[in-house]
This record gives sequence, structure tokens and C-alpha cells, in this order.
Amino acid sequence: MTRKDPVLLWWSLLSLGLVVLPWHWLQNGHSIPALFAPFVTDADSTSALMQALFHGRFWFWPVLIAWAALALALRPGLSREAKGRLLFGFGLFGLAMLILQGWTIGPRGWFSPRLEGMFGELSERQFGIGAGGALSFFALLFLTTEGLALKGRFGGDRFIAGSVGFLVACIILFTVWPVVTILGQAFKPPSDQTLWVAFVDRFFHPKVWGLACVYSGSQCGVAWNTLALALSTATCATILGLCFALIVTRTSFPFKKGMRLLTVLPIITPPFVIGLGLILIFGRSGLVNQAAENLFGWQLGRWIYGFDGVLLAQVFSFTPTAFLVLIGVVQGIAPSMEEAAEMLRADRTRTFRAVTLPLMMPGIANAFLVVFVESLADFGNPIVLGGSFGVLSTEIFFAVVGAQADFGRAATLALILLAFALAAFFIQRKVIGTRSYVSVTGKGDPGLARPLPDWVKRTAYGIAIPWAILTVTVYTLALAGGFVKVWGRDWTPTLSHFGRAFAIEWGPHGLIWSGGAWSSLFTTIQLAGIAAPLTASVGLLAAWLLSRQKFAGKTALEFALMLTFCVPGTVIGVAYILTYNIPPLEVTGTGLILILCFVFRNMPVGVRSGMAAMSQLDKSLDEAAVTLRASTFRTLRLVVLPLMKPAIVTALVYSFVRAMTTVSAVIFLVSAQHEMATVFIINRVINGDYGLAIAYSTVLIVLMMAAIGLITLLVGERKLGRRKADSPAANPAGVSA
Amino acid sequence: MTKILKAALLASATAFAATNGAQAQGQINLLCSVQVEWCQAIATNFQKDTGITVNMTQKGSGEAFAQIRAEKDNPKVDVWFGGTGDPHLAAAEEGLSEAYKSPLNDQLQPWALRQYEASKGRSVGIYSGAIGFGFNTELLKKKNLEAPKCWADIVKPAFKGEIQVANPNSSGTAYVIIATLVQLMGEQQAFDYMKQLHPNISAYARSGTGPIKAVARGETAVSLSFVHDAVTENNAGFPVSYATPCEGTGYEIGSMSIMKGTRNVANARKFYDWALGPEAQKLGYTRGGQLQTPSNKATPLPPGAPDLSKIKLVEYNFVKYGAAAERRRLLAKWDAEIGSLPR
Amino acid sequence: MTTKKQAAEVRLTRVAKRYGAVTAVKPLDLVIEAGSLVTLLGPSGCGKTTLLRMIAGLERVSEGKLYIGGRDVTDLSAGERNVSMVFQSYALFPHMSVLENVAFGLISGGMGKPEAYAKAEDALTTVGLKGYGSRLPSEMSGGQQQRVAVARALVLEPDVLLFDEPLSNLDARLRRSMREEIRELQQRLGVTVVYVTHDQSEALAVSDKIVVMKAAEIAQAGSPRDLYEEPANTFVATFMGEANHVNAEVIKVTGTRADVKLGGAQFNLPARGLTPGSADLVIRPEAVRLHAAGTENTLAAKIATATYMGGVAEYNLETPAGRLFVIAPEAHAVRAVGEEVGLSFVERGTILVRP
Repeated sequence: MTRKDPVLLWWSLLSLGLVVLPWHWLQNGHSIPALFAPFVTDADSTSALMQALFHGRFWFWPVLIAWAALALALRPGLSREAKGRLLFGFGLFGLAMLILQGWTIGPRGWFSPRLEGMFGELSERQFGIGAGGALSFFALLFLTTEGLALKGRFGGDRFIAGSVGFLVACIILFTVWPVVTILGQAFKPPSDQTLWVAFVDRFFHPKVWGLACVYSGSQCGVAWNTLALALSTATCATILGLCFALIVTRTSFPFKKGMRLLTVLPIITPPFVIGLGLILIFGRSGLVNQAAENLFGWQLGRWIYGFDGVLLAQVFSFTPTAFLVLIGVVQGIAPSMEEAAEMLRADRTRTFRAVTLPLMMPGIANAFLVVFVESLADFGNPIVLGGSFGVLSTEIFFAVVGAQADFGRAATLALILLAFALAAFFIQRKVIGTRSYVSVTGKGDPGLARPLPDWVKRTAYGIAIPWAILTVTVYTLALAGGFVKVWGRDWTPTLSHFGRAFAIEWGPHGLIWSGGAWSSLFTTIQLAGIAAPLTASVGLLAAWLLSRQKFAGKTALEFALMLTFCVPGTVIGVAYILTYNIPPLEVTGTGLILILCFVFRNMPVGVRSGMAAMSQLDKSLDEAAVTLRASTFRTLRLVVLPLMKPAIVTALVYSFVRAMTTVSAVIFLVSAQHEMATVFIINRVINGDYGLAIAYSTVLIVLMMAAIGLITLLVGERKLGRRKADSPAANPAGVSA
Repeated sequence: MTKILKAALLASATAFAATNGAQAQGQINLLCSVQVEWCQAIATNFQKDTGITVNMTQKGSGEAFAQIRAEKDNPKVDVWFGGTGDPHLAAAEEGLSEAYKSPLNDQLQPWALRQYEASKGRSVGIYSGAIGFGFNTELLKKKNLEAPKCWADIVKPAFKGEIQVANPNSSGTAYVIIATLVQLMGEQQAFDYMKQLHPNISAYARSGTGPIKAVARGETAVSLSFVHDAVTENNAGFPVSYATPCEGTGYEIGSMSIMKGTRNVANARKFYDWALGPEAQKLGYTRGGQLQTPSNKATPLPPGAPDLSKIKLVEYNFVKYGAAAERRRLLAKWDAEIGSLPR
Repeated sequence: MTTKKQAAEVRLTRVAKRYGAVTAVKPLDLVIEAGSLVTLLGPSGCGKTTLLRMIAGLERVSEGKLYIGGRDVTDLSAGERNVSMVFQSYALFPHMSVLENVAFGLISGGMGKPEAYAKAEDALTTVGLKGYGSRLPSEMSGGQQQRVAVARALVLEPDVLLFDEPLSNLDARLRRSMREEIRELQQRLGVTVVYVTHDQSEALAVSDKIVVMKAAEIAQAGSPRDLYEEPANTFVATFMGEANHVNAEVIKVTGTRADVKLGGAQFNLPARGLTPGSADLVIRPEAVRLHAAGTENTLAAKIATATYMGGVAEYNLETPAGRLFVIAPEAHAVRAVGEEVGLSFVERGTILVRP
């Protein structure tokens, strides 16, 4: 085991961050020469060491002392214990000092007036940290975790120690901190009220908890609306998702490929398209209503606006989520379990009821939970179809942007929403967290999946096929809008909308991307392309740590991970601006803030699908690899990851697609240089330019399909060597798209 | 392990190195709350005229105001152009914007200066639009309904379930409507009127432009909206027309503010003066196809635009109804007396 | 696979494992001599697997020290200890071919791929699976999978090879031949092996030394013969092979011998430190001799069941001291059910133990 000392690597990187790279974020961009900061004379653009030496910025000295002290740990012949203590002690000290200086000294000197009173006004100042600061932070973090590992924590495994440290730091920085910042707003009373009066007034307002709908025609409180909607959506979407998953994996249905596509389509659709499509069919002037009126003289009214419509749209939107969670579970059930049941004289129905279904229960509960939380946080559908029907996420949005502009109310509502999501999370943990059904064992499974009982098959077909037809109709009608002159009125075919969005001209200096949509499209693809692999890798790493390793504070980490997922996008958007607009982390207006938002908002899906997949992987596989001298990292890469390919695909696809279709969070975060496609589209919709909006959406959908195909191809299939039956019915190796 | 972490670090360190540098003439960061073509025309023409780089972001006025408030400790926006006057007044009230007296002020319409006075010089009117009825002509014909002309028309039982208006809790437009009615009829009468109107309302939509879109798609026959929004839908090809109430109506003053504590104050003022000139104000119609009334007296009125001087307007008290406390009081009253009525 | 390494000794001093309030292994000392095959034997839940996993490095030691080949490995991870393990479920990576599985550890250790694959082929040959390298684990039978798992562990030439109930998924015939193969392989390679099982016949067949565990501690450790013939207590006695367990009386102790009375029978046995009074007596089924009823100095008994077993006959006998299970060699003359007999006891196989 003669490996290079990782401490040397991290210490060198720390030196790079402190001595060479510019400490602060450079206003004029990070050009290559600007990165060799010691040769820069400007105080704000040079490295920490130079700032301390020549610009009187004393606050860097403690960090630099930690740096010097950490060099002691590089001495050869140091005992493991002593080295560990040294690294841990000074690494932690350096981290603390780095954070302390960042939080106390800002662009106007001391951040808080009290500090200014204590130490007098500062002549120097600093902006947000840049390349040097970030690198130093992570180098110090990893030196600290190396120390912990050497001290014997985390099983003495430095990869685990480093991963936990990295995750905890990221979660605190990019999830906990902004959420705490925005929730803190709930405790800032308006000037004419005291804190508790204001809080109680906001929290227990009848508009939140009112039960008027029970005894009169008025509306109930938004909290009840939200709960009722989320429960209904989760139930419907889980049932539909299960039907689709069963059909795709366990039947010989001839149009399985098409079905799979259909279940994926809503995920890759910008949010308002489904809403508009539904209006076109079920709206007052929609096809169904007009047909009913013309044929039977029925007035169907406007039921689509309100609870029913939002429910329908959400089921459209989230069935795919449930499907993607469930298909991995259905595939993961060891066929030998079902074979065993059949050998025990169970007929197909009993096998399904007593074996297959219970084995799927953790997965079903998981799907239910994910959809429940997604519905809670959904913003696009209620805003398009809600009418007077309000849910918490839209109420929060209007509390921020509406006539009241009341952050306090928004934060209070966000608190309630968060409580719901967390309750769901804890129920899930209590009810199914303790059960795991290990199905992919180290022995391999030579069995064949049993055919479904007929009644299950019939039910699945009966539910899924009409839904599939409805989906096709909604999409055809919605997307037709991109190819006709005026959507819903003048159905003359035209391609002019595409022309306006995606025109390319050949100018004297070469190609000119003259269409209005190009810039936002390029930005979106670039940012989503960067965010997706980051999201997937961090998410799966977290899933692996949470399901396979034991360490203190694991539950807290899991809880924090779920946090951004529970908070609706609008709240996150505002929270990110409030938090990252000021040093030490000043990243508003950059692409970085969008990527951070995508990564930490979408990561929970990766975590959940990863954990679901992990719970079906026999733990002795990891252990075998470890005893075969594979490092933890090698075990992860060669054994765990290949067996989790479906989960990887899910995580990658999800994060990419969500990055491309999300609106609510980014609407506050986009800037002139970094405009996102969805924001561009929403602005078109607001201006009534549906043609261009839909044309653009169509292009996005096609692009995302291509991306999904590419991801599936790149990641490949999971080889389990299960025997394949002659009929396509038992092909468990298919990868969910 | 180092591989993954290094990759993550590299990605975060290098991927976003591209921030743009200031150019020779300097730059301004423009937050624009009018229609996107209009915004683009403003940005490119100002850049052409002065050589100052414009970083323009287009956002609705509510979102724009939310961003400005969130950024208050470290403002990034130099000028906020457009959007209804209320949030501009609120920004002034919260000390987020900075007073500036433009030399062009004496060329402006009196209502534009009223915004200037109401905000103590921190904001000025750039265009104006009136509240009115938007309606779907085809749907009215099908239902055998007369197009509404007066506030009194729309409370008639014939319009039962045919009218949409936004919820004032979420929509600035709807708040302007309430304030208009209160100023037109007196507070108690206005609330009585809204109670009478309630059975005719099919939905209190969430956003201010929601009702007119419902009209365009034939979901409802009549909406209470800004009349220029009705024209926008008409231009998009929908059978939408508009009328202004015969008893008189309220209006918004689309405004402009310079943010406090920005890094480009001089350029921001240059833009401010430029945007108040007739050449710049023409762009709203010529490039954006918008029909609001421009605030510079020398700017020609867009053809077909509702002429504010021909519309009967209430004496709108922006100071009183723009104040946060009065707004909270009226909204609470609306919740108690109208919003809670059974439907 | 022919190169022999210096085998390593495994030494545990005061090693214990706790999960919160639960003690899985009480502090214990154990030395596993270099090149020997030691079996950890005991009922499920006795802590034997936990002990094995601590040696492997898959569980952290709660207290005490662990040495392999004289090196303190207490704080080292599994990969750093130079041990290999064969899992109960074999834990073959289902997505890799047999050859890839076997070569996995070598490549982990930094060996080049061509060399690793060549060595893996050799290892497969050693376990009799030449030519199966390209198959997936799921395409092989249970016994073959077992051999792959052994080859995968052996190819690393570990200081210590660990087996966690490796034969429990195999059929009886295969189990017998596999355990012989494992023993033969261990002898040939001279590697130290720690072997967990709950099957005493398996333990007797393969072990140099057996460590019997009960309720998180060692009940007795010693050679198979010691354990079978000199069990420290009734638990070990009954766990090590078939045994009848009756209550007898020690009448007199003279030197190292004791006079024991059981019903009408009286005989002389090694005292093993017991004093006169009530005592526990362990009687192996094959240590009982059947005589005609009423023979002097015999225990009266009546045949309850009689089974012809080919080479031997098995009886269940009703006696005043309780029911006894007996295996008698004279199978050609199976006695009839209901027949009255007298029993005498052979010294080898009749053992006094502390109650």
C-alpha cells in the first residue's frame, strides 16, 4: 500500500489558494494571467498572502498561521495519531478563521455596527471570495477530514471522511444558510407590530387554516388546499406510475416503447404547456366543452380552473416521477422470490398480492412521498390553472411579488409548507425506513419474472391506456400551437414562430444567430449540462454515504438534504438572492448561482433514487470489494456504480431536465448575461406570444429527448446476467429513460 | 477520492470565469418591467446613442421589486424602468431609490410629475394606462350581451359568472381597481358595489393580466384590466376589444427610478434623461407595439391608443393609496367583506 | 498459486464489540497459529460472525487489540490488512465475468491487467474452473460460484483467509467434497484460515482447532479431539456431535478417577476435577453397549424405536435416567421394539462434566 500522501496534495492546493490565486472574486473575470495573483499590485485582485503582507489586511494572518502549522504534518516519520491530531486541530482552526474573517469584514469594513464600535472603523475592506478563497476553503476542509480519518474516525477511511465533510460543508453553505436566511424573515415584524403579534397573526391567519369550505361556499385556507391537493396528486400519480411500470416491465404490450416515451414527455415539458393544453381541451371554449354544448347542449363550465384542473395537470406532470422511481423497484425485485411463491402453490394473484406487491411497498411509498413533496412545491400548474384556488407555493409567490410585497408573510407560509414536507419525510422514515428488501444479491438470480395476474394486467391497461391517449391529445393540441398562426383561433399552418426564434443568417463575418431565442438556449444548455453531472455525482455520493456508512449526524444530514427539495422554488430564489448578494459569497448575477441552485435543488431526487437502488444491493458486495483491497473510491466506482446504473440515469436525466424546465426558482436569479430558456418562454406567454413560446418549448422538448437518449447510451445498461425469456415479457435489464 | 473532488472544484472554479468587464464608456444595469421588445429597443437605442453598455433584464414589476428589495444591502440594479407606479412608490418609501430631478421634467405631462411629487423626487412617470373593461366580442355576441360601457353595466344579472378580475392580494392591477372605486364612489359605497359585483365574478385570478388572457381565450366574457393589455391581446389575433367606464376610471403611472447606492450613478442619470425624451418614448409603440400614453408632451400618441385626455379619469391620490398602511387596511377589508363571500 | 508465503499468526487481546448497549462479543483473547485452520463454531447469534468480521476489518473493534503477523491492525481498514474473505452469499459481482471477479483484488492492489488476468486464470485452474473465466456468475452452479469466491480470495495470497459459512448454500454431497477441497487447498498453500460455521461435523472435518462460542464469549477452544472427548461443559459436549445428557451420581473420587453410579450401573471414569455428589454425564451414542436384560452392573432399558441404518442400527431407549439415543454397530441383529435390555458404558465417550 504505498500510495502518495494525500496530505501533501491538499496542503499544496492550500498553498496555491493562499499564495498564488487571487483570494477575491475578480470583477473583470478570471483571465489566465489574472490567476497568478502575486504579481498583481491591486489589493482586491491579489492573493491572501500578498494582501496580508503588503496591503495591511491583517485578517488573513490567522489563516496563514494555520497554513504554516499544517506544514508540520508533512514531516516524515510522524505517528498516525500525532499527524491526525495536527491536521484536525489546525485544519479546523484555519477553517474557522477563514469563515470568521469572511463573515465579519465586508465591502464597507466591519459587517456589524457593534464590531465597528468595538474595534473602530476599518480602513480596509473586502469583496466576496473568489478562486483562491474557494480553493483554500476546500483544501482546509479536506485536511481537517484527513486528520479525522487518521484519528480513526469514519472507520479510518479518508474517502468517507472527506466525502462527509464535503457534503456537510456544501449543504450548510448552499441549503441551510439560505433557508435560514429567508425563514428569519418570518420573525421580522412590520414596523407597527411586535414580533409575536405579527408572527401569530401571520401563522394562524384564517386564509391559511380556515375551514370555511366545510360549512359554506367559501374557500378553505391555503394550507388545507395544499394538503388535499398533494394527497390526491400523490395517490393518483403513484397508481398511474405503477400501472405504467408494470406494463413496461412485465407485459408484452406492443407499444411499450411509446408508453415509456409518454411517461417521460411531461417531465421534459416546460411547465405551462400542459396547463395550456388542458385549457384547450377542457376549458370553456375547449374542444370537449364545445362538443358537449353542440351535441348535447350541456354547459360544462369552468371546472378546469381550480382544484380539479390543478390536480389533473399535476398528475400529468408527476406521474413520470412516480414511474421513474417505481420502474427501478419493479425491475429490482428478484424473480426467484416470485418463483418461490409460485412453487409454494400460490397462484398468480396470490403471488402478486403476497410477494410482488409487498416487495414493492418501500418503492411505492417512496414514489408517493416524492410526488407528495413535488406537489407541495409545484408552482407552474397552480399558477396557470388555479383560478381563485390558491396553494401555499403560489401564495408565497404572490406574497413576494404581489401587491403586498411581504417577505414576512412569504416566509411564514414557507415555514408551513416546509413543515408539511418534513412531516411527510418523517412518516416515510418511520413507516418504511426500517424495511429493506435486498434483492440484487451477490449470488446472481437466475429466475424469470412471473407474468402478471390477468386482473392486474387488465386494471393496468384500463388505467394506463386512456391516460396515454389523453396525454397524446393534450400534447398534440398544445404543440400544434407552434405550427399555426394564432393558437386556438387561426389554424393556418406556419413555421414563422420557429423562424423568429431560431433564425440563422449568413453575414459577412460568418454565421449570425439572429433568432431571439439563441442566447437563452445556449445559456440554458450550458448551465444544465454543467449542473446535471454535478447534481448526479453529489447526489449519489450522498445516497451511498447515507445508506452504507454510519457516522454521527447522519439523520441531520439527510434532513438538510431534503430541505431545498421541500422549499418551493420561489422561496429558494429569493433566499439565494438575500444570501448570496453580499460577501463573503457574492455570486448573484453569475452563472454560478444558477448552477448552485440547480445542483442543490435537484440533488434530493438523485439521493432518493440512489438510496432506493442501494437498498436493493446486497451489502456483502461492497464488503467483498473492500476485503479485496479495493479502496473505498474504487469500490464505489467499480462495484456500486455499475450496479446502480438505472439510478444514475434517473439522477442525470432528472437533474438535466429540471435544470432546463424549472421556472420558479430561476425567475429571480437570471441576469442579463445568463437568461434561461424557461424565463424567456414565460415572458412570451405573459405577452400573449403563444406561438413563439410553444415553438421554443417544442425545440426544448426535442433537445431534452436527445439528451436523455445520449445519457442512456453513455451510462449503458446494468448487466445482471438474468436469463432472458423467449417472450419480451421478462426483460428486466431495460433501463428507464 | 481526490479525482471526484478535484473535478468538482475545477468545475466550480473555471466554469463561471466569464464575467463581463466594463467597457470604455461604462455601463448600466437596467431592470426593465415593460414588454420585452420595448425593453430591447430601449437598451439597444441607448447604447447606440451614448456608447454606454446596457445590461438589461426584463422582469414583471412584482418580481422586479422583489429583486430590488432582496438586493438592498448591495444593489446591482442602476435603473428600474417601467412597471406600475405603486412598487416604485413603495421603493421610494423604503429608501431603495434615489431622488433625481431631470432637466426634462418641465416637458412632462402633469400626471407624470404627480408620481415625481408623490415619491419625493425618487421616481417619475414615463407612461400611463387606464383601467377599463376588456371583452371578447365573439363571446358577447354568442351570449347576446351588450358590451359594457359603465361600472353600472357590469353588475347587471346578465353578466352573472361572466366577469373576471384579479385578486388584490396578489395583483397590483386589482388594487388599483379597488382604489379607483373607493375614490370614485366613496369607501362604503365602493365596497357595497363590489359585493353587488361578486355574483358576476367567475374567478378572482391570481395575476393582473390573467383575466384579460381568459377573455382572449374565450374563458370569460369580460375582464377588468388595463386597456392597453386588451389591445395587446387584440394584436395577437384574439377578438378582444375594450371600453373605459363612463363614470370615470383610475389609471397607473408607469414609472422609472434610480436605485440608491449603485456604482454607475452618472450613467444612470444619463439614461434617465434619455428615457424621458420623446425619441426614446416613441419606441414603446414603434418597436414594442404598446399603446400606453407617453409622459413627454412632445411624444406623439400612438395611433389607436386610448387617449387619456379623452377618458374620464378620477382624481387619483397616489400618495394616499400608495402608502403601505392604507394598502394593508383596504386589503384586509376586502378580505373580510368580499374575499370571504361564498361563491 | 504455488508460491508459498510465510503464513501469519492472528492474535486477539481483550477484543470486544459493542453496539450501543448490546454486547456482541465480550472481551476475549485468542491466538490463531500461523498456517492453521481455525473454526469459529456456535449457534446463530453467538458472536462468531462478528468476530470474523472484526478480523476482516469490516467491523471496528470496540476495545482491545488485534494483530496479524505481529502487526497491529486494530485501526487499519479491511483493504490494508492483507486478509481475504469468502462470503456466505459469495458476493460475486453480478455485472462482472468470473475472470474479472477473480482479478478484481489484484487490480485493486495495483497489478497490471494482463498479469492480473493471467494469475486469475491460474487461480481458477487451482479450484478446477479452468475455462470458465468468461461466464457471468449467474450462469454458474452454486458449487462453481463457491469455487469462484474461493479463487477470488486465494489469488491475493492473503496472510489470512476468512470463510463466513461458505458451504451453507450447497447441497450435502457438494458440501462434503467442498470442505475436503478447502482443507486440501489450505494444507497445500499453508495459509492461515479462520472459518465460521454452525455445523459441527463441518468443523470437525476441516479444523486444526475449534473455537466454540456461546452468548458472545468463548465456551471452549481446542483441537477437535479435545472438544469431542474432553468438553468443558454440557453446552460444548452437546454442541460437538450427538450426545445424551443425563444426571448421574459421583460416589467416590480416588486420585484422578471417580466412581459413578447411573441407575443399576456403576463404573469408573476420569474425575475431571469433580467431587462426590450429583453430576452431569455426557454419553455419546456409540459409547453404549447393549446386553441381555438383567445383566449385572447394567442400566435397565426398554427399546422404544429401532432403525436399521445400513452399517449400524439406531435405537431410542427408555431408561430410569431418561431417554437415550444409541448407535449400535451390530446391525445384522436389530433388536425388536419393546425388548428389555441392560446398558453398559464404554469409558471413551462417557464423560463427566460440570453441571
